Amino acid sequence: MRSTRGRAEAPRGLVAATLALALALAFAPACSEKLPAPIPSASPEGAAPKRGGVLELATFGDVRSLDPANITDGLAPQIIEQVFAGLVDYDKDGTIQPDIAERWVIADEGKTYRFFLREGVRFHDGEEVTADDVKRSVERALHGSARNPAASYYSSIVGFDALDAKEAESLPGVVVEGRYVVAFHLSKRDATFLRVLAMLPLRPVCKSGGARTSASWHPCGAGPFKLPPNGWQRGQQLTVVRHDGYFRPGLPHLDGVRWTLHQNQSSQTFKFMRGDLDIVRDFATPELLRFQADPRWKPFATYDEAHQILGEAMNVQIPPFDNVEIRRAVAAGIDRDALRRIRASNLTATNQLVPPGVFGHDTDLHGQRSDYEAALEHMRRAGYPYDPVTKTGGWPHVIPYLVYKQGLQEFMGQVLAQQLEKIGLRIEIRIVNYPTFIALRGRRDATAFGPGFWLQDFPDALSFLEPIFHSKMIADEGTNNWSFYKNPRIDDLIDRAHEELDDERRKKLYSEAQEILTDDAPWAFSQNFRFYTQRQGYVRDHHSHPMWMHELKRTWLDRAAGPVAGRAIFSEKGLAALLGTDVRR
Amino acid sequence: MNRGGVITSARATFSRLSGGRSAGVNGTARAGLVLVGFLVVFAIVGPIVAPNDPYTSDFARGVTPEHLPIGPSAEFWLGTDRLFRDVFARLAAGARVSLVIGIASTVIATVIGSIVGMLAGWYEGRWLDTVLMRAVDVGLAFPFLLIVMALGAALERTTAATIFLTLGFTGWLGIARIVRSKTLQVRSLDYVLAAQSLGQSTPRILLRHVLPNISGPIVVIGTILVAQMILAESVLSYLGAGIAPPTPTWGHMLFEGQDYLGAAPWITAAPGVAILLSVLGFNLLGEGLRDALDPRKS
Repeated sequence: MRSTRGRAEAPRGLVAATLALALALAFAPACSEKLPAPIPSASPEGAAPKRGGVLELATFGDVRSLDPANITDGLAPQIIEQVFAGLVDYDKDGTIQPDIAERWVIADEGKTYRFFLREGVRFHDGEEVTADDVKRSVERALHGSARNPAASYYSSIVGFDALDAKEAESLPGVVVEGRYVVAFHLSKRDATFLRVLAMLPLRPVCKSGGARTSASWHPCGAGPFKLPPNGWQRGQQLTVVRHDGYFRPGLPHLDGVRWTLHQNQSSQTFKFMRGDLDIVRDFATPELLRFQADPRWKPFATYDEAHQILGEAMNVQIPPFDNVEIRRAVAAGIDRDALRRIRASNLTATNQLVPPGVFGHDTDLHGQRSDYEAALEHMRRAGYPYDPVTKTGGWPHVIPYLVYKQGLQEFMGQVLAQQLEKIGLRIEIRIVNYPTFIALRGRRDATAFGPGFWLQDFPDALSFLEPIFHSKMIADEGTNNWSFYKNPRIDDLIDRAHEELDDERRKKLYSEAQEILTDDAPWAFSQNFRFYTQRQGYVRDHHSHPMWMHELKRTWLDRAAGPVAGRAIFSEKGLAALLGTDVRR
Repeated sequence: MNRGGVITSARATFSRLSGGRSAGVNGTARAGLVLVGFLVVFAIVGPIVAPNDPYTSDFARGVTPEHLPIGPSAEFWLGTDRLFRDVFARLAAGARVSLVIGIASTVIATVIGSIVGMLAGWYEGRWLDTVLMRAVDVGLAFPFLLIVMALGAALERTTAATIFLTLGFTGWLGIARIVRSKTLQVRSLDYVLAAQSLGQSTPRILLRHVLPNISGPIVVIGTILVAQMILAESVLSYLGAGIAPPTPTWGHMLFEGQDYLGAAPWITAAPGVAILLSVLGFNLLGEGLRDALDPRKS
C-alpha cells in the first residue's frame, strides 16, 4: 500500500512541476540579456598592421568544391578568392584592378585583350606563374568535361564552342605570346569580358591541376592563402593558411582563416558574443536588432548589399502562367512592403530585376507596382475574374508552389499565399530539400511556380538578364531560366548589350529590356537582400567585398586582451600541424 | 463464462480509474485523464473561440515598430509568430492536427500490430510466426523516424492523411511483439482449449476468446502510443517532413519560433508546452490504465 501511494505522489509531483515549468516558459518575459561589449583593439587608429592570428568565420552552409572551374555553391567563392589569384580581380569597391597581370591592352576594336603578367608570381607549390599556366588553366576550365556552370560567360573566346563540345582539346583564342604575355581573341566584342575574367572560373591553377579537371585534385593556386593538406575537414571546417610566396609584399597579415561549417544563426551569434568568432553576418532578426541598437557595436558594423534579386518565378509554359495577364496579376497582387516586413532588417522592396549598385539599375524605371485593383483587373482580363466580397471566381485549380526547407522563401511563401488568395489564386506550398528544389526548378515542365532568386556573378545587369531570361539558357535540365521565358526582343537586347562597349548606350539597352520584363512579368520582382556584417573591435582593415563577401588580404587582428581569437579551438600547435612547420605568430 | 470474465474485468478497471481501491492508480490515471480531456476540449473549442484567423498575418496589429512579433495581449492571447499570425489560434488548430494524427495513426498501428501479433502467437513455431517475427525484427532494426522521413520525402505532397498513414503503417512493430507474447499466454488457457475442442474455427477463437482477454495490454499500449505518435508528428513537422505550411502543426511552430527564442519566447513556448502536456497526459493515462488492468493489483 505504501509503495502504491508513493507511485501516486510521483506523477502528481511531476505534473505540478511540469505545469509550473510550462507556465514559466509561456509567460516568461523576453530574454533581455545584455550584449557583451565588443572586444577592443590593442592599438590606436592608424597603427601599423601586425602579422599573425587566425581569423575565425562561420557559415550555415557547406562547400562542395574548391576548384575554380567547378563552383557549385554560394560559399566556395569567398574561399576560392583567397586561394587563387586571377589575371585581374575586383577591388573592394567592385572595380577591376590588376592582379597577376600588371597591365593589359585592348586592341582590334575590343576583340583582343593582351595581358602582361608580373614576373615572379609563385603558385603555392613554388612554381612560377607563366602565360602557359594561364592558357592551360583556361582550357582546363572551359573544356566540356569540366562541366563548368559559368562556362557560357566565356563563349566569346575564339574556339569556345568546339572546346565546350569536347570536339577540340585546345582553345585557339588564347595565345601565349611570351613567357609573361598572353592574348585572348574574341569572336565578337564583349562588353563584359574583363568583368567575367575577374570572376573565379579561369584563375590559374598549379601544374598539379593538370589539363583537365579532376575531383581528387588538391586545390592549389597563387592566392594569398593556401589550403594545407588536411585543411578541409568536409562538413566540419575549412582552414587556409598564409602563402609566404604571395606576390604582394608583406601580405597577407593573417596566419590563416578558418570557416566553421554548418553553424546555425544562433550558434554563430553565441560564439561571436563569446569571442570565438571574429566576424558574423548570418543573424536572426532579433539578434541583428540587438546589435544594431547597441551603440558600442555600431562602429564595427556595416550594411552590405548582397546584389541579389528575390522574386516569384512563373513558368510561362505551364498554366496558368502561360497567360500573361495572370503573370501581371501576380506582379501587381503581391504586397512587396508586407513581404519586406517578414525580415525588415535584411530586405528592401524592389520593383525591377537589377539590384541597386549593379550597373544597369535604373532609378527612373517605373517597374512592377503593387496595386490590388490592377491585379483584380488583370485577373478579369485573363478570363478568371475574382470577387473579393463573395470570394468566388479566380483560377479554379490549386497551384503548387515549390520551396526549399529552411530558406527565407519558406516564410515568404506563406505570406505570398495569403496575398494571392485575395486575387483568386490559391497556392499550395510544397517543401523539398535544396538540391531537389534546384533540380526541379531547372527541369522543363516540372515546376509552375516558386521563389526566384539570383545573386550577381559580376556587377553588371547582364549577370542577371542573360542567365535568367535569355532563351539560349533554356534546357530540359539544369537551366537557370526558371520561367522558360523566350522573347526574341529580350534575346536581341541582351546580345546587343553584350557587344556594346559604350556604357551609356548599354545602359539604355538594359532599361529597355527591363521595361519589357516589367510588362511581360516572367518574374514578379520583389526584394533585394542586404547583409549586416558585425565585426569584433580588434578586427582591423576588414572590408566587406561586393563579390567575395570578405576582403581579407589586408585584414589583421589586434586583440587587446585574452587569447587570440579562436585560439581555444585552433591552437598554435594545431596550426603547426596543418602547415607541417612552426608558426611565427 | 468468458464473456462474464471480461465484463468483470472491465467493471474492475472502471472502478479503479474512477476512484476505487488504489489511490496510486487513481491519481496517475486521473492526472492523465485531466490532461487528455483538456487537450480534447482545447482542440474542439479552441479554434471556435480564437479571436483571430490562424492563417492570416496581421501587419497592422500583430507587429511591433521594430518589425518583431508582439507578445501576449488582449488581442493576441499568446502573442503573434514571426509571420505575425495569432499563436493561440494556430496552437488550437494545431491541436486538432496533432490529436487526429495521434489517434488515427495509433488505431492503424494497433490494428495491424494486434493482427500480426495474434497470428504469430497462435501459430508459434510455424513458418508464419517465423516470417512475421523476422519481419518485425528487421523493421525494428531501422530507426523509426528515418523510415518515416524517407517515406515522407518520397511522397510528393504530405497531408494529415499521408502522415497518419505513414506513422500507422510503420508504428505497429512493437505492438505485434507484445501481442504475440500475450497470445502465447492465453492460447494455453482452459477456455481456449475448450473452444478448440468444441471445433470452433481459428478466426472465431482469436476474435471471441483471445482478443478480449488481451485487450487490456493493447489498450494500454495504444494509449501510450498516441503520445509517441503526437511526438513523432511534431518531430517530422519540425524537420520539415511533416504537413506543409501554412497548416499549423506544433512541430512546425517550434521550428518557426526557434530563431526568435530570445526576443519572442512565446512562439516556441506555446507549442513546446502543448507537446509536453499532451505527451505527458497520454503517458500518465496509459500508465494508469496499466495499473488498473494489472491483475496482480486486483
